[in-house]
Amino acid sequence: MGVYICTGCDIGESLDLEALSKVAASEYKVPVCKTHPFLCSAEGAGLIKQDIAGEGVNAIVIAACSPRVNTDVFDFPDVFVERVNLREQVVWCHPANDEDTQMLAEDSLRMGIVKAQQAELPVPFQAEDISKTILVVGGGLAGLTAAAETAKAGYRAVLVEKKETLGGWAAGLKNVVGLQPPYTELEDLNLADRVREVEENEKITVYKNAQIEKIAGAPGMFDVQIRQNDNLYSERVGAIVLAAGAVAYDATKLENLGFGKYTNVITGEQLEEMAGQGAIKRPSDGKPVESVAFILCAGSRDKEHLPYCSAICCTESLKQALYVKQQNPEASVYIFYKDMRATGNYEFLYQRVQKEGALFFRGDVLGVAEVADGQLVIAAEDVLVGEGIKTEPVDLVVLATGMVPVTAIGEKLVIKAEDDKGAQEEAPADEIIRSNILNLEYRQGPEVPPLKYGFADSHFICFPYETRRTGIYAAGSVRAPMDIPATIRDATGAALKAIQCVELTAAGSAVHPRVWDLSFPEFFMQRCTQCKRCTVECPFGAINEDEKFNPLPNPTRCRRCGTCMGSCPERIISFKNYSVPIIGSMLKAIEVPEEDEEKPRILVFACENDAYPALDMAGLNRLSISPWVRVIPVRCLGSMNLVWIADALSKGIDGILLLGCKHGDDYQCHFIKGSELANYRLSKISETLNRLALEADRVRMVQVSIMDYDKLPGIIEEFAGRLEEVGPNPYKGF
Amino acid sequence: MVTVNPRFAEKLKKFGAKTSTECFNCGTCTAVCPLVEEENLFPRKMIRYIQLGAEEKVKHSVEPWLCYYCGECQQYCPRQANPGELMMALRRYLTSVYDWTGLSRKLYTSKAWEVLSIIVLFFATLGVVALLHGPIVTTHTELETFAPRHIVDPAGWLFGGVLSIILLINIYRMYRLVMTSGEQVKIPWSLYVKEIFTLALHFFTQRRFLDCKSRRTNRWLKHWLLMTGYAVAFILVNALSKWFLTNEFLSVFHPARLLGYYATIAMLYVTTDAIIGRLRKVEPVHQYSHSTDWMFLILLWLTVFTGLLVHVFKYLDLPLPTYYTFALHLAFTVPLLGLEVPFTKWSHLAYRPFALYFMRLKESALQARARRPQTGVTASEIGG
Ligand code: SF4
Ligand code: SF4
Ligand code: SF4
Repeated sequence: MGVYICTGCDIGESLDLEALSKVAASEYKVPVCKTHPFLCSAEGAGLIKQDIAGEGVNAIVIAACSPRVNTDVFDFPDVFVERVNLREQVVWCHPANDEDTQMLAEDSLRMGIVKAQQAELPVPFQAEDISKTILVVGGGLAGLTAAAETAKAGYRAVLVEKKETLGGWAAGLKNVVGLQPPYTELEDLNLADRVREVEENEKITVYKNAQIEKIAGAPGMFDVQIRQNDNLYSERVGAIVLAAGAVAYDATKLENLGFGKYTNVITGEQLEEMAGQGAIKRPSDGKPVESVAFILCAGSRDKEHLPYCSAICCTESLKQALYVKQQNPEASVYIFYKDMRATGNYEFLYQRVQKEGALFFRGDVLGVAEVADGQLVIAAEDVLVGEGIKTEPVDLVVLATGMVPVTAIGEKLVIKAEDDKGAQEEAPADEIIRSNILNLEYRQGPEVPPLKYGFADSHFICFPYETRRTGIYAAGSVRAPMDIPATIRDATGAALKAIQCVELTAAGSAVHPRVWDLSFPEFFMQRCTQCKRCTVECPFGAINEDEKFNPLPNPTRCRRCGTCMGSCPERIISFKNYSVPIIGSMLKAIEVPEEDEEKPRILVFACENDAYPALDMAGLNRLSISPWVRVIPVRCLGSMNLVWIADALSKGIDGILLLGCKHGDDYQCHFIKGSELANYRLSKISETLNRLALEADRVRMVQVSIMDYDKLPGIIEEFAGRLEEVGPNPYKGF
Repeated sequence: MVTVNPRFAEKLKKFGAKTSTECFNCGTCTAVCPLVEEENLFPRKMIRYIQLGAEEKVKHSVEPWLCYYCGECQQYCPRQANPGELMMALRRYLTSVYDWTGLSRKLYTSKAWEVLSIIVLFFATLGVVALLHGPIVTTHTELETFAPRHIVDPAGWLFGGVLSIILLINIYRMYRLVMTSGEQVKIPWSLYVKEIFTLALHFFTQRRFLDCKSRRTNRWLKHWLLMTGYAVAFILVNALSKWFLTNEFLSVFHPARLLGYYATIAMLYVTTDAIIGRLRKVEPVHQYSHSTDWMFLILLWLTVFTGLLVHVFKYLDLPLPTYYTFALHLAFTVPLLGLEVPFTKWSHLAYRPFALYFMRLKESALQARARRPQTGVTASEIGG
């Protein structure tokens, strides 16, 4: 082993380096321990390389800057590298040449050395019989695009469509809004060309009139059974693009707007169909319409119906208003809206429709009533003048209904941990909707867990396309409501993600967000009690179960968050370079001063994704942080095993602060459930603390985002203050 | 509940409201308008009334008269809906609503009517002059002999009287409309007297104009020049016609000549400036011109110009040119006053101050009512 301490970037001037080197050389008997004034220079890195070649060093500790920087410089093949963050988290946020700063630096180095001693280099998982084919589920615009893009990139695609023809919802459109300047013309989508491109492509196999019977396996090796008519086909694919689309909201629930009650109240889809076939007529008597009212957000943005905005109804209705005006420029067109969401270039369309004389009304529709001869009168609240208004009788009322993703339709399932014994307490489990689209053979249910409202997505900003099933990428309106250009972009993006997935899987690497990571969880099965914690808590459904209820890990489904490791009460799950014992030893390496020295210790478990970088940023901004903290980065708070808390407290550490991402509906956790599960586990810890006769206040979890870096000193200070009130940990010195 | 009437906006197009459908009700115009007050929000609300076809609301509203068309809103409107011009169009429309003869509507909505009316009045005036003029002295300029005061004065009074009666009736109609909108309140007689100051103040100063932040030109000053020029001319011609219409040659420093010069220069300068402005279309207020705007400017310019010519010819002692231009001067003056004062643009000189007056009346009455302690208890309150 070698320890290299950089003395540049204020480190040399702020610390007693001799004493620090002694920690490595004397305390841990590290054979090679060197300092260098500029370690990230070619010369500095050369020094390390020399030792690797000459002295046979194969585990090194670099005590310098944050592990988040200079990763390319300190990358040595086949050598385990541990970085000790002396710069951002020690000298940049603590006073120079101070006793406490020195103690912090030494503890940090101890933890780094211990980790380097115990960790092993990961050996990448090699899946057998890898397939790089991409399965595309759904043959609408998104599916067609994804398949075509996959083929263009040189990969084979298999497309499954449940209808007899390709094209999906877009096939029913008469025209689309022009995507070129002036953005106001109606154009043909040329869907037939797209369909032909896919059907004639040699790299694409199309199954029409087909359904997925089941999908078993994992990324790189999914086995898909497709039922077409009465035949079963098998395909082995590497990744999946879920592009199953959405359907219009059921208008029969909109009786308040007259649907189903009055013949001349129809939906936008019905109008589109009528326009496609020729003239727009009144259903009641077939007379061409002379006045039409469009009601936008019909059953959308409405707590009773769809609470969300479907993104396209405003612009689709504007387009349809132009159909009406094309047919009869004198026709009156009334448009009732809540907000006119004609964003970007659609503004030009909105303007054109206004110019053509359509009348716009902002506010709630109060009711639709039939007067003589099938004509209808709409009453509404016009918020723009604060008065009730009503229209003259109109021939036709068109309801712009929203979209419901097909993944939202079906029986709701909650897969629980409870086995026959029913002994375990429940961690919060996810709801799965049995929508009969993917039919996955997963312990956690047959479909992807949806976001709220049933959309197949996992993170609303950070990870578009990623569902919560690794290797399955959602695109188009099944993921989020979107218009045609967005769908095309989305499908292209998802196809690219699927290709990345098969390539990374073939290389044994994790996918986003730990793309460089070659480690994976290994299970020491002999000690497994079949409690099912790991199978339920894995946010990605990576762990199946065999007939004997043993967990059956699928490394290529795994995102390497370590949540299973944190969940396992028997602590049998570990990574080569990250495990319960490794972290346990690190925290035990911290020197805890005697009570009378009045130097409390706070252990901080910081999530690597947001909290740890935020601490770095605090250092970068030279904010001053309490000298009592000792930071251990964790892959995700979900990987926090309760035994660490017990270990830390029994060692005399005064308090433990868990810094993780926001959880709940608008979570920011990079592993979706990790911080929520950590929170859940903490709720169970009081028992442990009681056993140790300790106060529950000693453990605190705080949700931070990277932008909260300026709040961190305060958060820590506040916690330190509370600990002072509680008093020192009585276990000190035991 | 307002029933939406898409045809109203169509109707208003003739009055110059061509862009009402462009407005998407963002309210920027209301936010930037220097003249809006909390109780009177415009122009967005008025535009929305146009869009809805809320004709009754428009008829009863006073807001269009509160706008002095600085054009601030016009420059900020993100939709080029020209809110200032829409307010202008509403003033035209309201003028036609107030006018009981119906002629105003005809003049605003039909160019044929406009041109014909001018021609008829023009030739009728010439005809009257041809019939009634006095002896034509050619040796020496004798204007008063040509246009004897005992004929001109009564004719003038008669003409003025008729116009005033029409205008007063129109003002009364405006009063009825404005006072019956919104909250109803009874206005005590004393208030009418008390607030008469508002009326006079705004009539003579148009001080609200000063609140307009029109940066490039001092429109208030120009407007004030025009208005005082006109007032002076009016007094000269009517009250002091013995100085104006006389065979005598007055000294250059005679007050009548000095005042006459002031009036002529002021009006000629301002109308010429406005004509150039409307041709160049730089200022928002000049960008859109209704045919009646041109009618007004051209008639006024010709009237003043021929008036000047009469003066020049007279003092050059050119008898015939003096008489002919005087006849022409009258032939321009009659349609100018006859059409503009009660029926179109010039009526605003009455409607604007009256709008403010009516508004003040109502506000004061409402305030007074709010201050008054509630006497009398209603039966239901006792019962409860
Ligand atoms: S919990 Fe995380 S580390 Fe464990 S199997 Fe699932 S994805 Fe992999
Ligand atoms: S007139 Fe223009 S500024 Fe005023 S509300 Fe309409 S769009 Fe907005
Ligand atoms: S023109 Fe001037 S006064 Fe009139 S509404 Fe616009 S900003 Fe207000």
